[in-house]
Amino acid sequence: MSSPFVQAMVDAAALARLPGSGIAWLDAARRESLVAFAAAGLPPPRGVEAWRYTSLRPLEQRRFALGDAHAAARAVDAAAWALPGVDGPRMVFVNGAFRADLSALDALPAGLTLLPLSRALAEDAEPLRFFLSRMYRARGDAFASLNSALAADGAVLRVAPGARVAAPVHLVFVGAPAEAELAWHARCLIELGEGAELELVEHHAAAGAAPHFGNLLADYVLRERARLGLAVLQDGAAAATLFRRAELRLDAAATATLHALELGGALVRHEVHASLDGDGARFDTRGVFAVRGRQHVDTRLHVEHRGRDTAGDALWRGIADERARGVFQGTIVVARGADGADARLGNKNLLLSPQAEIDTKPVLEIHADEVKASHGATVGQLDERSLFYLRSRGVPLAAARSLLTYAFCRAALDSLPNAPLAEHLGACLLARLPIRSEETPP
Amino acid sequence: MATERSDIEQQVRAAASGNARVDEALNRRYAAGFVTDIESESLPPGLNEDVIRKLSAIKQEPEWMTEWRLAAYRQWTTMTAPDWAKIDLKPIDYQAISYYSAPKKKPKSLDEVDPKLLETYEKLGVPLHERAKLAGVAVDAVFDSVSVATTARDELAKAGVIFCSMSEAIRSHPELVRKYLGTVVPQGDNFFAALNSAVFSDGSFVYIPKGVRCPMELSTYFRINAGHTGQFERTLIIAEEGSYVSYLEGCTAPMRDENQLHAAVVELVALERAQIKYSTVQNWYPGDENGVGGIYNFVTKRGECRGDDSKISWTQVETGSAITWKYPSCVLRGDRTVGEFYSVALTHHRQQADTGTKMIHLGKHTRSKIVAKGISAGRSSNSYRGLVKVEKGAEGARNYTQCDSLLIGKQCGAHTFPYIEVKNPSAIVEHEATTSKISDDQMFYCRSRGIGEEDAVSMIVDGFCKQVFRELPMEFAVEAKRLLEVSLEGAVG
Repeated sequence: MSSPFVQAMVDAAALARLPGSGIAWLDAARRESLVAFAAAGLPPPRGVEAWRYTSLRPLEQRRFALGDAHAAARAVDAAAWALPGVDGPRMVFVNGAFRADLSALDALPAGLTLLPLSRALAEDAEPLRFFLSRMYRARGDAFASLNSALAADGAVLRVAPGARVAAPVHLVFVGAPAEAELAWHARCLIELGEGAELELVEHHAAAGAAPHFGNLLADYVLRERARLGLAVLQDGAAAATLFRRAELRLDAAATATLHALELGGALVRHEVHASLDGDGARFDTRGVFAVRGRQHVDTRLHVEHRGRDTAGDALWRGIADERARGVFQGTIVVARGADGADARLGNKNLLLSPQAEIDTKPVLEIHADEVKASHGATVGQLDERSLFYLRSRGVPLAAARSLLTYAFCRAALDSLPNAPLAEHLGACLLARLPIRSEETPP
Repeated sequence: MATERSDIEQQVRAAASGNARVDEALNRRYAAGFVTDIESESLPPGLNEDVIRKLSAIKQEPEWMTEWRLAAYRQWTTMTAPDWAKIDLKPIDYQAISYYSAPKKKPKSLDEVDPKLLETYEKLGVPLHERAKLAGVAVDAVFDSVSVATTARDELAKAGVIFCSMSEAIRSHPELVRKYLGTVVPQGDNFFAALNSAVFSDGSFVYIPKGVRCPMELSTYFRINAGHTGQFERTLIIAEEGSYVSYLEGCTAPMRDENQLHAAVVELVALERAQIKYSTVQNWYPGDENGVGGIYNFVTKRGECRGDDSKISWTQVETGSAITWKYPSCVLRGDRTVGEFYSVALTHHRQQADTGTKMIHLGKHTRSKIVAKGISAGRSSNSYRGLVKVEKGAEGARNYTQCDSLLIGKQCGAHTFPYIEVKNPSAIVEHEATTSKISDDQMFYCRSRGIGEEDAVSMIVDGFCKQVFRELPMEFAVEAKRLLEVSLEGAVG
């Protein structure tokens, strides 16, 4: 007995024309993933720890049409994705479909390969076999299985060993209004060769009110000494459902830094799984979510220290207003033998309304003894003394609150090296902050 | 048995005065005879409604209690054992356990007791007669503790405090038991609580009347009939308005017990302005170095601050058991109520502990504090799992949580799973956790001053735990410290 959501996906799969079909191993992997998804269904409301704070019951009752037949014809204004400080190669997906006309893939810098998954499969599928054959079998991996079964396109990005790509690469996923509620599944594969450097921006934008279901699965492989700077701006449509999962694997001395800003969407799940396999690998994350209305945003960060002398510093901020719910689940695992690990996890949240809710679960799992690991989490309000200070200097209450809220979040974005982009993210954040003038001082 | 029989005889005599009650009394007498018969042998292994009826009959329980147990059993059959804890556990065959067994075959003298155990007692400085009691030697001859218990009873009775076994309370204070039993931990609360509700053997019952400050610290040790509280202990403590009680549970030396499963339930009820302080030093048999044997300690402990301005404080030192699954919790229902949890959990060899607390803030201006210290050595696994939940109505709720882990050795694990759920914007919740090992600097400092390696470790561990030990009654604190030393033996070097 499967839910309407699962049934609709399975039905659609039978009719779907996916790129690379006919390649035996790919067909088999897709079939197996679909079977796994159909058999398990969506994670139940209780009993699956990873989904403890996000109920999928409302989603279960919805039916989405698979893919957008008219994606190529949708008019999307370039303003939807324009970002200051981001002017490198660009790849645009509208409702999950690759739009060559909107992308900028000419004259790629030396050492950079960037092409849609559909073309990569048509040209030479074999190098992708390792990733696309992977099965997601853990309870709660439903959306990864679904993606493996149905991903119709995505980005394949490679940076040659030693190559330094200076201009940031921009991956844009735009949701555009359509005749029906759509589901799209995109798969990205990003590989940085030894000593390669890349700055990447993952950008979710809206071209109108589109209640679509988006599902993005991205694999990152960083070879020795590679450096990745990843910025994520999620400003999807207010009605959108968005599930994203990034899997990073870092070899020795590789470094990755993630800055994430979550603003849009109705039901959003952002998973980041990182495995620091090589000695001296480092993964720092900075993130902010600011939710209001009836938004539900769930961030799950899972960092595993496996090599020796690895490091990770996570700093996340969350604010929830009106009837929104913000969830942060952060896990640091230090595997046996991962001596010298230095792991920190900080999560601070502001709860701004009596109807809002914040749930945070910062987990440490330590199996080695030569480690430094700590985490801290708080949920609270703006500091009364700071508010008083500002008000005593003539700043109105509403402005004082916004200012302090902004400062609270901004700390997490300051370290983004792309200054114009950091400014822009700050401005996006400020634009979202509540200006509630009716309130009286507490 | 002797006391029970004379009780019944008294009742018969009393009842004989009124003809109408003669039959009832005679029936009871018959039941008692039946008990003697049964008691010479255990109930066969297995669990079904008949077993529960028999168990209830043996304990001469009223009808409502039997029904209460059966209701719990029926719920239990629909439940599955929890699998979320970070413990590695082979499935338990609940049908292979005997749910009522006659007093165990006891060693006749200390000569028959495992020398290793005696050695531990020696180190802890446990007095000789206590050693016998702890080792499970028949202790009828230990007059000291009997007399202590008797004096204590008189003094308590004077204050109006009821302190007796749960079985006795069901018979002599049914109205209190009925009113409070299962109101904090309902029958179907969780798998182990349901099992306990169906088959609980005995435990303590404490009732502190209004405005009374209990004249002494109560402990199971002082209770004359505490001998065999068994695998499924059930404790209920009720503190009426404005009263105070400090309750100590457990003993500071290893309890020899071959039982595999302990599923206890402890319920605390604090009414207006009442305070309950509950301290535990748990040192059940942890199994040997290779993880063979040892107790599975699956305990549900929960206190409810039902009245305004009440306070419940849990302090625990957990060093024993092969597997510990235990989360002493506070439901802060009344306004301005306070919940506290102080814990030291030490695991060595192949022990596994998944322990922590829950603080549920319901009332306004409720406060909670959590200090948890985990020490893992050998190949053990030690997890803190805690929930801080602030509900919508909990205006001005405040929580502070600190959990620190200390690792001794390369093969052990220390984990922290805090859950924070906040629905009220005026709440302030803070959580901090650190994990580290004993630093080489600290060791070097101690060693360079001529302190031996083991002593240095125990000094550092003691300092690490100080915050919790401070909360223990003094005698307990001293012994807890020594207990850690003994438990950590062989962890270094």
